[in-house]
Amino acid sequence: MRTRTRALIALVIGLHVILLLAGLIAPCDPAAQNRRLPYAPPSRLHLHDAAGWHVRPFLYRMVPGSEGYEEDRSQQFPLHFLVRGSGYQILGLVQSEWHLFGVDEPGQFALFGTDGFGRDEFSRVLYGGQISVAAGIAATLIALCAGTLVGLLAGFYGRWIDDSLMAGSELFLSLPWLYFLLGVRAFLPLHLSPVRTFFLLTAVIGLIGWARPARLVRGIVLSVRSRNFVLAAQAFGASDLYVIRRHIFPEVWAVLLTQAAMLVPRYIAAEVTLSFFGLGVSEPVSSWGNMLSTLQQYSVLVSYGWLLAPIGALVITSVIYALLADTLHSHLEFHST
Amino acid sequence: MKAITRLTLLVCLLAAVCFAAVSPDKPQLGEELARSSETSGHYGGHVTIGDRAEPKTLNPVLATDAVSREVTGRMMADLIDINRATQQTEAALAKSWKISPDGRVFTLQLRKGIRFSDGHSFDADDVLFTFAVYMDEKVDAPQRDLLIIDGKPITVTKVDRYTVRFTLPRPYASAERLFDGLAMLPKHLLEKPFHDGKFAEAWSLNTAPTDIAGLGAFRLKQYVPGQKVVLERNPYYWKVDRENARLPYLDELVFLFVGTEDSQVMRFESGDTDMISRLSSDNFTLLHREHDRTHAQLADLGASLEYNFLLFNQNDLGAKKLDALAQKQKWFRDLKFRQAVSAAIDRDSIVRLVYGTRGAALWGNVGPGNKFWINSSLPHPARSLENARQLLKSAGFSWNRSNVLADPSGQVVEFSIVTSSSNTQRMKMATLIQDDLSQLGMQVHVVPLEFRALIDRVFQSFDYEAAVMGLGGGDADPNPEMNVWTSSGTSHLWHLHEAEPATDWEREVDQLMQQQMVTLEYAKRKKLYDRVQELVAQQLPFIFLATPNVLAAANPRLGNFHPAVLEPNTLWNADELFIRNAPETAGVQ
Amino acid sequence: MKFLLRRLIRALLLMVGVSVLCFLFTEMAPGSFFDEMRLNPQISPETIASLRMRYGLDQPVATRYWRWAKGALHADLGYSIAYNSPVAPLLWERAKNTLLLTTVGMALTWGLALPIGIWSASRHDGLLDRVVSTGTSLLISVPEVVIGLTLLTIVVRWRILPVGGIHSLESDGWSRGARVLDTVQHLLLPATALLLLESSIIVRHVRASVVEALRSPAIEAARGFGIPRLRLLWRHALPLAASPVISLFGFSLAGLISGSLLVEVICGWPGLGPLILDATLSRDLAVVIGGTMLSAMFMVGGNLVADIMLLAADPRIRIEEADAH
Repeated sequence: MRTRTRALIALVIGLHVILLLAGLIAPCDPAAQNRRLPYAPPSRLHLHDAAGWHVRPFLYRMVPGSEGYEEDRSQQFPLHFLVRGSGYQILGLVQSEWHLFGVDEPGQFALFGTDGFGRDEFSRVLYGGQISVAAGIAATLIALCAGTLVGLLAGFYGRWIDDSLMAGSELFLSLPWLYFLLGVRAFLPLHLSPVRTFFLLTAVIGLIGWARPARLVRGIVLSVRSRNFVLAAQAFGASDLYVIRRHIFPEVWAVLLTQAAMLVPRYIAAEVTLSFFGLGVSEPVSSWGNMLSTLQQYSVLVSYGWLLAPIGALVITSVIYALLADTLHSHLEFHST
Repeated sequence: MKAITRLTLLVCLLAAVCFAAVSPDKPQLGEELARSSETSGHYGGHVTIGDRAEPKTLNPVLATDAVSREVTGRMMADLIDINRATQQTEAALAKSWKISPDGRVFTLQLRKGIRFSDGHSFDADDVLFTFAVYMDEKVDAPQRDLLIIDGKPITVTKVDRYTVRFTLPRPYASAERLFDGLAMLPKHLLEKPFHDGKFAEAWSLNTAPTDIAGLGAFRLKQYVPGQKVVLERNPYYWKVDRENARLPYLDELVFLFVGTEDSQVMRFESGDTDMISRLSSDNFTLLHREHDRTHAQLADLGASLEYNFLLFNQNDLGAKKLDALAQKQKWFRDLKFRQAVSAAIDRDSIVRLVYGTRGAALWGNVGPGNKFWINSSLPHPARSLENARQLLKSAGFSWNRSNVLADPSGQVVEFSIVTSSSNTQRMKMATLIQDDLSQLGMQVHVVPLEFRALIDRVFQSFDYEAAVMGLGGGDADPNPEMNVWTSSGTSHLWHLHEAEPATDWEREVDQLMQQQMVTLEYAKRKKLYDRVQELVAQQLPFIFLATPNVLAAANPRLGNFHPAVLEPNTLWNADELFIRNAPETAGVQ
Repeated sequence: MKFLLRRLIRALLLMVGVSVLCFLFTEMAPGSFFDEMRLNPQISPETIASLRMRYGLDQPVATRYWRWAKGALHADLGYSIAYNSPVAPLLWERAKNTLLLTTVGMALTWGLALPIGIWSASRHDGLLDRVVSTGTSLLISVPEVVIGLTLLTIVVRWRILPVGGIHSLESDGWSRGARVLDTVQHLLLPATALLLLESSIIVRHVRASVVEALRSPAIEAARGFGIPRLRLLWRHALPLAASPVISLFGFSLAGLISGSLLVEVICGWPGLGPLILDATLSRDLAVVIGGTMLSAMFMVGGNLVADIMLLAADPRIRIEEADAH
């Protein structure tokens, strides 16, 4: 494997590990409101004060001033590493209280500032990434599974099954789904926890997205099915399942992988769009989508630029996935022909 | 043609172009005009307003949405008007009126010599026709419900050409206020569609301006679909200023369909629009910051009449299969539970974080913005988690080791709050409440719903547990609130469709509200309504949260900009607005 | 010919299917148009109920669908409760604006994306190619809403262009030329948003298929024959790469009505998007269904045109279809 591919795969894994360890890396509980500190700008770390240079960076408390916030120079809060703080769980299994860095109360180290409720934006971006990326991956898996199934059926059994399935996919693509999703939320029972409701919605978007992968898979199946070795195998009495497993799958596999890498960022972006319409995961859980939806308000957008942090995270994730997709594409295509 | 003739013609042409705006008709003999007491301005100019959406119709009887009412309100006039600044009634098309001692018969004297915007004269026939339309069952005007008291309609009779008599089935407090907003329709234009049964199609957006006539300060000039409605001066408007010059001052009033409030703010900042009302506090702060550059006139009018509240579902679920909800209603119906929730809510933070300090906390349905009716002796208890815990304990609730609250039967206290996803303020309130109640050990989920889905659940299916909503804001008078507080009322949200009052205090409120409706004297009414407020604040059918301030802004060159707490906040005196030659130097009020 | 006929029938069946699904979906969404009036304590539920009856909202879905379908055959798309006027002229008025925006957007997009895609593919793995690759990856990963909002903020902050609407307020008395210029100014913001959104996808696809074509054995052979690079590109590689690009063009056509919804809403362009969104939120069913059918018509039509173009352009497909039937 080329080093570029290896580096990209390492990046992707690294990204996911960082998100999984959100609890460790984030200094605060993402739901902890600090009502005295709404919309505070990012904390500034200092190394120098009247007494001279310090080895350990420190920060001051932010207090309301004449124009926004100002630093309260009366007390210094040095930055500590490996501190004990609020409890969290990793993957629901490991319980821990250690945080990578933090400051003592009542100081607050807001690396990316705070939101309208005084919650730490950096922590929320990390925890939010868990939800958003998981939603993207889940939706992609659903879309690809459904699409592959349909594509296989259509391509393999051909004629009228093919026609009807493809007509069905056109129907699906013609409907303006955004409008209907607006009504769907109202349907779901109120008693599901917000995260479960959200994943249900993600499943719905995933299911909507089966049409394109289905066409792709169908195309491949059609081309492979007519190859000589497949005809020969069938002449020898190979069952359909055998042909699918032995000959079609390896071809489809490569395309699916590339598609997956392309679709994940698109579905993460779909989560953002859904959140803009109020269909995302609800408070107090954060996702990149619902953090960005507060930026719909013009006044917030122009006054509190640090709230754009999720866009940075989103772009980084998407670029990594897109580059991975590109590499996979050239790598796998090369090898398949 | 000789050069001189050509020159003259050119000058005449130029003059015609310059004076293309409609000039006001000079006050005629025999016209009885109203006089404005405002600062005098001068003629000319236009004012542009940004609106959320297009109006749906130009027919004042059918206009139910805010934008349509805003536009038709400028083209029409009523018999008796509520002055938005003083909140009291004043003479409009009726120059005076007499009330019979029993308060049932109103005899109104109409102004003589008044003409519609197309020049046709106005008299009692138009008034009779108008009320016939409002009361007609086939037209289904929403205003009809206002004119039916105790199931019996108000009767209208013509005494002579300029006198009309209204007979109420029984005495009704502040009956004059009913007339506000009831536009007088031109019989000569609308009689035919009405008799043909085609009234609903009359005065739709595509109607030609010559087919519409009203008594308002402006008349329709042009409608451009998807973009704007342009109104021009009504040359026959029946009001003059202090110098006897006929109002309005403005040549044109333009309503631009801009979209969301944010787009409205952007357009206002770039100078495309001249006035903006009902600003959110975030946008107001933004405009405040830009003040040095724009010199806009900014107005903070204090608390509005709207009240936001947390509502618990106490409806009878009866035949509906909502068992889990029925279990939870045991908590919602417990007064101590509601009191505990109210004690735990941080109203101060709501005012600070949701309204940017431009708001007021509420403990009852009448807030400080309603200076005539507020019961100032009601207590305003500070937030206390300790009190809340005590109340819950005394109601049999308990906490387990991880501070999770459980009811007397051991069930964990967990419920959801629904709210409209399009209303960011209420969503924020719900999030703050969620955090507050988590400190009591309650697990609360915030569920944003699309507006109509929310309405469906609250009014129809009753499939919700708690909701954050808002009501009020129409008029300061208690009568419009009848449907909220009387037990059979259609807006009695926490317990709809009660066959009879479910509790003693609701019975008392019913009696008080019915009584105040027929009590004509203000002081006595106030006492009755004070007691209603006291009961409501004690029994907490709604847990009141906060109310926003009324915020508005205008172009620095706009004169007579006097926004009011009642709607339409900035356009109520559109006939007195004018464009100064130099900007107003006042800053924020 | 038979092929075309089959496609046409399929298109018609599709339209029927869309209309049925549309009705069903709008039925599922709770609430009705008059619900907003419930919040007004001064309007009685009887008034609301009789209003519903007057507009036929209390009838069962099947009846309403049948009535609508009969009307649709006569080009009568029903009545808008909100606007109190027939739906068809309402839609047409807005559709004109949307089509103006999307055709300009499409022209700009394809005008830029096609050459960039081809050029970067011909210099595969060169500096330009890498820049284009990363640039498009970046653009694709940012959600459309965010791009729209960012552009809007830039334009408003620095007052570059007028925002919202098609004409400026005072444009009524201007000369023809001035008015056209004014429209162009208003068009720039939404068209740029569309350009940014769609060009990245098209560039990537064009580039991918041209690269694919350049790598194919046919081109290898041609290169072996010593055919010069430019001629290789134009006369040999591009026709090979044409079919996926043509399908993409068909998709672009299909999205002429529906693709600009988000941009129109954000930039305040008075097209179909804001109309339908508003109608969905206020449950003005006739407008929603009319608008959906219109956009479905374009979608189906666009696909059909793409299929026809493919048939004309790629002889292999002609043969395949002939073989299959």
